[in-house]
Amino acid sequence: MKKFLFVVLALMLTLSVFAAGDKEAAAAGPQKITIWAWDPNFNIAIMEEAKARYQAINPDVQFEIVDMAKADVEQKLLINLSSGVTDGLPDIVLIEDYNAEKYLSSYPDSFADLTGSFDYSQFAPYKVKLMTVGGKTYGVPFDTGVAGTYYRKDILEAAGFRASDMENITWDRFIEIGEAVFAKTGVSMCAFDPTDGGLVRVMLHSAGSWYFDKNGKPFLAGNPVMEAAVATYAKLINSPGTMKTSGWAEWVGAINSGKAATISTGVWITGSVKAEATQSGKWALAPIPRLNVPGAVNASNLGGSSWYVLNSSKAKATAIDFLKQIYAKDNDFYQKILVDRGAVGSFLPSQGGSAYMVADPFFGGQKVFQNFSAYMQKIPSVEFGSYTYEADSAIASVLPSIYAGGSVADALKAAQAQLENAIK
Amino acid sequence: MPHEQLLLRRLRGRPSAGLVFSYVFIIIVAAFCLFPFLWMVIGATNVSKDVSMGKLSLGMALFDNFANLNKLVNLPLVFRNTAFVTLVGTFFTLLVASMAGYGFEMYRNRHRERLYAFLLLTMMIPFAAVMIPLFRIFAKVQLLNSFIAVILPSVASVIVIFYFRQSTKSFSRELVEAARIDGLSELQAFFYIYVPSMKSTYAAAAIIVFMSYWNSFLWPLIVLQTNDKKLLTLAISSLSSSYTPDFGVIMLFIILATSPTLVIFFAMQRQFVAGMLGAGK
Amino acid sequence: MKTIRQSGLVRHHSTAGFHRSTGWMFVSFALILVGVFSIYPVISSFLLSFQTGRGAVYHFNGLGNIQRLLKDTVFLQALKNTFVYFIFQVPIMIILALTIASVLNNPKLKFRGFFRIAIFLPCVTSLVAYSVLFKSMFALDGLVNRMLLAINVVAEPIPWLLDPFWAKVLIIIALTWRWTGYNMMFYLSAMQNISPSYYEAARIDGANAFQQFRYITVPLLKPVILFTSVMSTIGTLQLFDESMNITGGGPANATITISHYIYNVLFRFTPNFGYAATISYVIVFLVAILAFVQFKLTGDDHAA
Repeated sequence: MKKFLFVVLALMLTLSVFAAGDKEAAAAGPQKITIWAWDPNFNIAIMEEAKARYQAINPDVQFEIVDMAKADVEQKLLINLSSGVTDGLPDIVLIEDYNAEKYLSSYPDSFADLTGSFDYSQFAPYKVKLMTVGGKTYGVPFDTGVAGTYYRKDILEAAGFRASDMENITWDRFIEIGEAVFAKTGVSMCAFDPTDGGLVRVMLHSAGSWYFDKNGKPFLAGNPVMEAAVATYAKLINSPGTMKTSGWAEWVGAINSGKAATISTGVWITGSVKAEATQSGKWALAPIPRLNVPGAVNASNLGGSSWYVLNSSKAKATAIDFLKQIYAKDNDFYQKILVDRGAVGSFLPSQGGSAYMVADPFFGGQKVFQNFSAYMQKIPSVEFGSYTYEADSAIASVLPSIYAGGSVADALKAAQAQLENAIK
Repeated sequence: MPHEQLLLRRLRGRPSAGLVFSYVFIIIVAAFCLFPFLWMVIGATNVSKDVSMGKLSLGMALFDNFANLNKLVNLPLVFRNTAFVTLVGTFFTLLVASMAGYGFEMYRNRHRERLYAFLLLTMMIPFAAVMIPLFRIFAKVQLLNSFIAVILPSVASVIVIFYFRQSTKSFSRELVEAARIDGLSELQAFFYIYVPSMKSTYAAAAIIVFMSYWNSFLWPLIVLQTNDKKLLTLAISSLSSSYTPDFGVIMLFIILATSPTLVIFFAMQRQFVAGMLGAGK
Repeated sequence: MKTIRQSGLVRHHSTAGFHRSTGWMFVSFALILVGVFSIYPVISSFLLSFQTGRGAVYHFNGLGNIQRLLKDTVFLQALKNTFVYFIFQVPIMIILALTIASVLNNPKLKFRGFFRIAIFLPCVTSLVAYSVLFKSMFALDGLVNRMLLAINVVAEPIPWLLDPFWAKVLIIIALTWRWTGYNMMFYLSAMQNISPSYYEAARIDGANAFQQFRYITVPLLKPVILFTSVMSTIGTLQLFDESMNITGGGPANATITISHYIYNVLFRFTPNFGYAATISYVIVFLVAILAFVQFKLTGDDHAA
């Protein structure tokens, strides 16, 4: 019996050596900034570039950039925040804009108040608004998901449409063009996933509206903009000019393989559009179509994220300085990430830079990023609230009934009930 | 007798219709099971674009995919970490669970039977229910971001305890009695008599436990924080969630990540089948 | 037991006490671990299930969570889905596994080793791998549809991921693909334990293959079938990975499982731990009831 216990004890001690190893490394020394983000080809790569630039100014600072899937970052962040334990938290974390308010209001005091540290007038207003709660601004705006419509010039010309036909149109007109294009060329106008309500968000945002009213109450039923958005999306899905896809790979595959002639989404799709080199010179950019309601504009946003500093960070001052020097000052940085990664930042002074003026041969010489900058400044400011995903889910669950021809008003009532239940 | 003649005729002659049907059936089933693997192998040799468009022929991109994979992921580190967690975890799980199964079966008493029934109930609790309190425990003792935290909750796996207990039912107690007479203590009896005679049970359990640690995802995701502790499953997940996922690279990575479990299974499948036998009573 | 005492070679206390304490020694380590890592969190989350709130801010809610649960349309849909999987997938898989096992049990079949490995292989794949695979194979213009069109089984591609009915079918197919081999192994091992003389006797009495299967194989395999059936029940009721990674719970919640919904409440929506804990307990009760029913139905003694 004694021998047994001894053996066990010995084993546990051996194991604990492995655990103890890390703690020593975390002792006092040069400042270390830990950053959590996703996408090795985009956000991570961009952070690496920022890190290199900052280390040129401040060589003593070390960085640990941890790369995980987006959902995983959210999971880990949530678990850490909710356990009330701050040891596991990073210094800087990337949070998708739709999620920002959820974190900021669920975990007040977990994020650093940056109101006095940055000049927020230099960033796109809609970005600043979504990270401001109770008069305090918490994050550093990063990439924008400013939306546009990339289209195949050659296919549209074959169907008899010119560039001007794609400028400043409504979705209804877009659907009409789509059906003509499909009838004449056999190529689908666009590809969408019927189970994904992302475009509904785009439409709402372009009309300055959202799932919630000014008081934060669910505003699905009886909301004319909501009704128009959902009805228009259903019309789009049911149109013969629309190819139905499911999942990212199929969606991108549709344009790469030439089965779809346009793609309407955030600017971050640029890299994927350019992935098929044989299509170079055949693409062009138009503003995103608008919803047929008063007050809607041909500008919207899908996605985009920002950097946040955790209050528990032991290197808080350094982290804030890092973000300031690079993300709020270094124009050249923004040019580089645009050229290398197709990332459009929301730092206004950078958008006059040389990279933004480049005429891209892939797009027939069009200066697409200038277009996007112009669109970005027109994006209406909307407060997302904390419950975007619950609303998304509620809408997604009633979409099939609308596709099948059911009443929009009834569907929205059901969605509203579901949403209200979800946010109790 | 007519039946015997029928039998003899069958033994000597053509395969019966039943046998032909069996072959057809099993070949179709095997084909369904194998096909996705074939597709994975094909995918690993192709460029991402081709994979997402469903190309079915071998491509030339195998080396490029490997080079890209190497750039994106620190392969030696990730394999090393996963191997460490898996081997250490498997060792301790087999040790603790087999002792518990043996203990429950060989030294029965009323209290422990109730406890055992209660243990079985804990199998039904979904992980989501215990995730957060579990995390808090490790945070409190400052063991976050350690491999101990990854391994410890899974060591006393009730399913494995259950399996060992069932298998112990076919273990003959006379052997232990003889050992006692020879002067061995209970522990010695366990290690010198029981363990060697239950080799195939351990083999079968080892395969299942190995697979379970190797493929574990959610708990390591929650508990591990830094890059130097990354595991295979986490690395695959982050590769797949990119604005521009490279499917050829992902397929290749999946094949590499699955190979060790495949190899272990091939090597031990005879014992595995034998071991399953022991618990089927 | 008297022999030990008389032998004098070993110094022991009274046999009953010795029996008891040795027993505890063997199981103690496991019990401590289970106590700390299973029991304590379970109790903690049970307490949590009576509270509600957002993130780190929550308050006591009594039975409010349960009231909310009963009116929660997503939860009710998830419950329905989970039961559909349970009712269809588990029996299909068990019957399939039994059939495969008995085919493989035939000594006249060649290459049995190869078939065994091939059919068990899906169990070895990692989750991420198999969901990426199935998602692309069952896309609208994916492999499966192309093959079905090519052999003229269907006129139009099946919208696997976009249609509520087909999405459920897809999940059932995926689950069956993944786990049949596992169950097959259990049955095969148990079958190889059945003495061939039973079958001989039956054949002489004029029973055909199917009757032999029904009256000899199945009854003798009852304990194993019960075991796998309970395991599958637990697995299906806790189903998460397939719903999360292949269909994303869609379309329109047509395939979402209870565990997936819990995950959403915890991580995708604004986190409400109390409510998530409440939903988790529903699973626990359901599993407990169904397992109990299965034990009773087969008239078997509980595990021992």
